[in-house]
Amino acid sequence: MAGNIVLGYDGSDGSKAALAVAVTVARAFDAPLSIVFGYEPNPMGGETADYKSKLERIGDEMIGAAVAGAKALDPAVVVESLVVPLRPVESLLEAALEREARVIVVGGTGERPLVGAILGSVPHKLLYRSPVPVLVVPAGEE
Amino acid sequence: MTITTGEVGVSSVPEDAAGKGLKVGALGMISSLVIGVASTAPAYSLAATLGFVAVYVGVSSPAVMLLAFAPMLFIAAAYYYLNRADPDCGTTFTWVTRAIGPKTGWMAGWGILVTDLVVMPNLASIAGVYTFHLFGAHGIANNSSGFWVTFVGVVWIVVMTAICYIGIELSARTQVGLLGAEIIILFLFAVIALARVYSGGIAHSIHPSFQWLNPFKIHPVGALSAGMLLAVFIYWGWDTAVTVNEEAKDSRRTPGRAALWSTLVLLAIYVIVSIAAQSFHGVGFMTNSNNVGDVLNALGTAVLGSPWNKLLIIAVLTSASASTQTTILPAARSSLSMAVHKALPKRFADIHPKYLSPGFSTILFGAVSVVWYVALTLISPDDVLANSILALGFGIAFYYGLTGFACVFYYRRHIFKGFKNFVFIGLAPFLGAVMLTVLFVIAIFYYSDPVNSNSGSQAWFPFIHFNFTFLHQHFYVKKGLGPPLVLGVGLLLIGLPIMLIWRIRHPAFFQRDREVAETVDSPAPPLTPGVIPVTD
Repeated sequence: MAGNIVLGYDGSDGSKAALAVAVTVARAFDAPLSIVFGYEPNPMGGETADYKSKLERIGDEMIGAAVAGAKALDPAVVVESLVVPLRPVESLLEAALEREARVIVVGGTGERPLVGAILGSVPHKLLYRSPVPVLVVPAGEE
Repeated sequence: MTITTGEVGVSSVPEDAAGKGLKVGALGMISSLVIGVASTAPAYSLAATLGFVAVYVGVSSPAVMLLAFAPMLFIAAAYYYLNRADPDCGTTFTWVTRAIGPKTGWMAGWGILVTDLVVMPNLASIAGVYTFHLFGAHGIANNSSGFWVTFVGVVWIVVMTAICYIGIELSARTQVGLLGAEIIILFLFAVIALARVYSGGIAHSIHPSFQWLNPFKIHPVGALSAGMLLAVFIYWGWDTAVTVNEEAKDSRRTPGRAALWSTLVLLAIYVIVSIAAQSFHGVGFMTNSNNVGDVLNALGTAVLGSPWNKLLIIAVLTSASASTQTTILPAARSSLSMAVHKALPKRFADIHPKYLSPGFSTILFGAVSVVWYVALTLISPDDVLANSILALGFGIAFYYGLTGFACVFYYRRHIFKGFKNFVFIGLAPFLGAVMLTVLFVIAIFYYSDPVNSNSGSQAWFPFIHFNFTFLHQHFYVKKGLGPPLVLGVGLLLIGLPIMLIWRIRHPAFFQRDREVAETVDSPAPPLTPGVIPVTD
């Protein structure tokens, strides 16, 4: 599988908007859509086991909803779901590399640049680090 | 990672994560080592204990630092082997539950939570005191139970809780840098102190002696065990290095090694710094009431002079911030683990939908810490630092000891299969656990005489003149209960009725059977919540 459209999905409004755009793009290129949820507990502090399995279940549910959403928008689109035990940015880059992605699609964080600067914004980091084009979809875009 | 190709549907089988393409598990030996040492927080640990250890054992502090290493090293073997069996574990809580049974396991989990809670006032006070020292407000800093130090301490807890709640992380490189700086500053401090002692002219300085490393010089045995319980605390936290399991490249081997190496690094720091510290101005300087609570600041000023002493202050602060995080994170994860296994209410397992942190557990732990810290400052002014650090040893000895026994129990069929097994799975964990138990018991008798703990007098809050001196006169002297004992053992004991009530109301967790290791090498079947019959 190659040339996938890789979508980062975390259930936020931005990522829901990104889902709609990603489906359109996948359709346009006739490419498979890889929906990615990344999670990784801070290794500081240890005791991550039960926490991780809990996050994984949340990821599964979230991606399940995203896959259903994609199918509802376009039943013909080929969807793959990836729940990756890495930080969001790392998981997207890893998935993009692995799937030789055409583009990474993520939701924008909206008009809160300061919050993004402090907490670290996924699209911002991706813009610097991604080897493939990044499509940032503003929340509210349908 | 789960992959479903072509069609709608999500599998939830995580086991083949590494085999399915995407690389996971990039954290190796060095990162595990850094996490282990940073969690132990050497600069903060020294700042918090060095003065008090000297109060109990005089010039024998280095001997105590060495001695306390023994049980910790032995327990490291237990962590190493239990981790091999159960790499995806919630540490002590799940291990003890598996090996000894759910009631003891529950108490081990409680022990972790209580121990984490007891250290918070100390962390907050140290952070407050050293923050004011950093900015030269020594007058404010010297009143460690004063309003302003307490205020900064509370802000510290709130900010750290928020960081854990939101999930802000330093990059791995920054962590390595901070930890490296902390260790280099401590070594520089020790080397400069010793060089100045040997070049002469330092008031009350004493040349290091091998007798400082001789534990038989310490009398009475109660003082020795009090010193040991304090010193056990300085090694507390390295267990994190073995619990960063799944991130390690070979999750069943690397973490244990990182824990062992981190212990060796720590041992070197602690012995060298404690020797240098008492050489410089003698023990009297460290134990006088002006310096005992913030001995690294006092010595840093004397040894390094301004402005270089600020380096040591900054090292203590970065160390304390790492330590606060590595207290809040595991506390929240322990209560999450307990809730997942139905040993605590479900809410403790709640995950924040956006930040993906154990939201409820994190906030609750932060809130309880603030309340506990302020209450302790009111009840026991002037000795929050001392009593919290003295009380801490009980909790650590309790759950580390249980971990040692759990290892012996769990592997009981394999201990006598070969010399290596006997030493590392049997003897070492057993000896470590027995040593900690003995320390625990002796310290109970020792601290039961309030003369042997610090007692306060003045409350900064004018309306509450309720303090431990008052309590001593009216209650403790007759009944023989010193503050560290009340805090340390009392909080552990409170767990017992809570456990029994929980057992009556929610018996599911307590119906779990004990397990025994089938082999030494293979991972045990996961301790899944699904195994338990759900009756509630």
